[in-house]
Amino acid sequence: MPTRPLVIRYEDDLKLLPGAWHKAGAVLAVAVALAYPWLASARWLTVGNLGLVAIVGAAALMVLTGFAGQVSLGHAAFLALGAYAVAVLGGKLGWPFWLALPFAGGLSALVGVVIGAFALRLKGLYLAIVTLGLVFLTQHVLLAYPDVTNGLSGTAVPMSWWFRDETGAGGVPLGGTWTVGGVRLTFERKLYFVFLLLSGGAVWLTRNVQRSDSGRAMMAVRDQDLAAEVLGVDTTRAKLQAFGVSSFLAGVAGAMFAFQQQYITVEPPFDLNLSIQYIAMIVLGGVGSVFGAVSGALAFTFLSPLAETVGGAVPLLDQLTSAQQATVLLSGVVVLVLVREPLGLFGVWLRVRRYFQAWPFRY
Amino acid sequence: MALLELDNVGLSFSGVRALDGVNFAIEAGALHAVIGPNGAGKSSLFNCISGIHRHMEGRVWLDGKDLTGVGPTRIAHLGVARMFQNLALFEHLTVLENLLLGRHTRYRTGLLANLFWTRRAREEEIRHREKAEEVIDFLDLEHFRWMPVAVLPYGIRKRVELGRALCMEPRLLLLDEPTAGLNQEETEDMANHLLDIRHELGVTQVLIGHELRFVMDLATQVTVLDRGRVIANGPPASLREDARVLSAYVGGTVAA
Repeated sequence: MPTRPLVIRYEDDLKLLPGAWHKAGAVLAVAVALAYPWLASARWLTVGNLGLVAIVGAAALMVLTGFAGQVSLGHAAFLALGAYAVAVLGGKLGWPFWLALPFAGGLSALVGVVIGAFALRLKGLYLAIVTLGLVFLTQHVLLAYPDVTNGLSGTAVPMSWWFRDETGAGGVPLGGTWTVGGVRLTFERKLYFVFLLLSGGAVWLTRNVQRSDSGRAMMAVRDQDLAAEVLGVDTTRAKLQAFGVSSFLAGVAGAMFAFQQQYITVEPPFDLNLSIQYIAMIVLGGVGSVFGAVSGALAFTFLSPLAETVGGAVPLLDQLTSAQQATVLLSGVVVLVLVREPLGLFGVWLRVRRYFQAWPFRY
Repeated sequence: MALLELDNVGLSFSGVRALDGVNFAIEAGALHAVIGPNGAGKSSLFNCISGIHRHMEGRVWLDGKDLTGVGPTRIAHLGVARMFQNLALFEHLTVLENLLLGRHTRYRTGLLANLFWTRRAREEEIRHREKAEEVIDFLDLEHFRWMPVAVLPYGIRKRVELGRALCMEPRLLLLDEPTAGLNQEETEDMANHLLDIRHELGVTQVLIGHELRFVMDLATQVTVLDRGRVIANGPPASLREDARVLSAYVGGTVAA
């Protein structure tokens, strides 16, 4: 079997799944994703849902930091905006979740583009500091208007229609748990399938950015901004586009998180720690690739409960709380990845692939 | 007809006079060389033409259009391409992606179409790929198409940078020392490429060089700069015996 199909048209090079192996891998991934909610226990189903949220959030950060090279500590702010947008739209105005979701992304994107305009002249560390300021600013604003956001005590995030436990006229159940053909669809399972669609969409969008002229312009700004200008790349526009796409997706991720939690407060979770967790995800997965965003997000979310389990057995660590154990162990993993495999899980995948392509030779 | 005209161009960096009253014209279709000793202002002149030094004095005309005060992005859209002296490739991108970035000014689909990978975005991508493949063929880069630039040897990178500039289908190609750091064979290849560009594509080229023999053999016209001033301008043959050129270049008097 050939390792690579013969390319006879340029369209073939642009396909997301160019060969038989890619297609097989995709089918397998979809099968696992579809089977997961039926096999996982309630605890691991929740972890799965959080993993899907993390995929969207990490893909968002990958556009800004991985493609356009703008290091941002403000990711938590965009997630918070998305979360509170759906909380207010759903809670105060009674909008259904599918209508509130794009508005949450839009609001976040609007703020992202405005902040991006301020941050245009800043690079590296300075940009990180300014975006860090955005986190505190957002926290402050959210707490300053308690009649909208409910302030410190937090707010419920209702998902109208298909997710609410309620009974319609004549005792017909409208939401909550559905029974379809003898199969019980609980709230978490329904959420899982909606999230699966959303994260699939986010991955598709980011892959499209990556393989198109818009994404290349962002990467040109990342690698050599002066050369990019001389080639006619409008660096201002490329950066603003990166901020826009990234904060839109971050807003959607925040909204998904809010739906999953059903009740949110400002801090935790929307603090500097969350921003850093997302940076850890894309570093773990491999900066600059969508595969890195997905694998990093999944690895990070699934390792956290594992680390909490393992942490209790490690001397000294068992003195800490379970969340602290996870933090210590995961930061260790991230440092190890940075030292041993700077390309992250993407780099590991490249090496595995090269091994099989070269097989039976060792090099 | 002159494609590019420099009218009394001057440039200062807090006390250092990099360029001073530079006047000359570049004919369409020429391979015009700009030479001069270190610090003569050759690269500064390029930066003025491509709009990087906006605080310059005087005027630059491209085909009757005033380029004074116009930024580099806009100038790229007007058809000026450039090859940098110290390579300015996008190291993490493949050769093909670098070349496609040379086509950036000609893309018509925007972010939204790209996000949803619409039919138009797809077709445009393929159209530009075809053009990039022509350049790959022209410069013999077939083997390196999928390689990230970071893994390529220096000579190939120079060629990729030339290719990226050619992908812009420029009217004016600025080449800042295209042979710096190349060995004999690579230098000969580069010379052949430059001649091919002149004869087959008809692109006007401005070449900065310091290797006299290379410049004298290739150029149709030579301008000599020294300490920011034009000290000679003419066909290469006329400069061979020019006393000012010899004193600036070789130093002191030369026994002929």
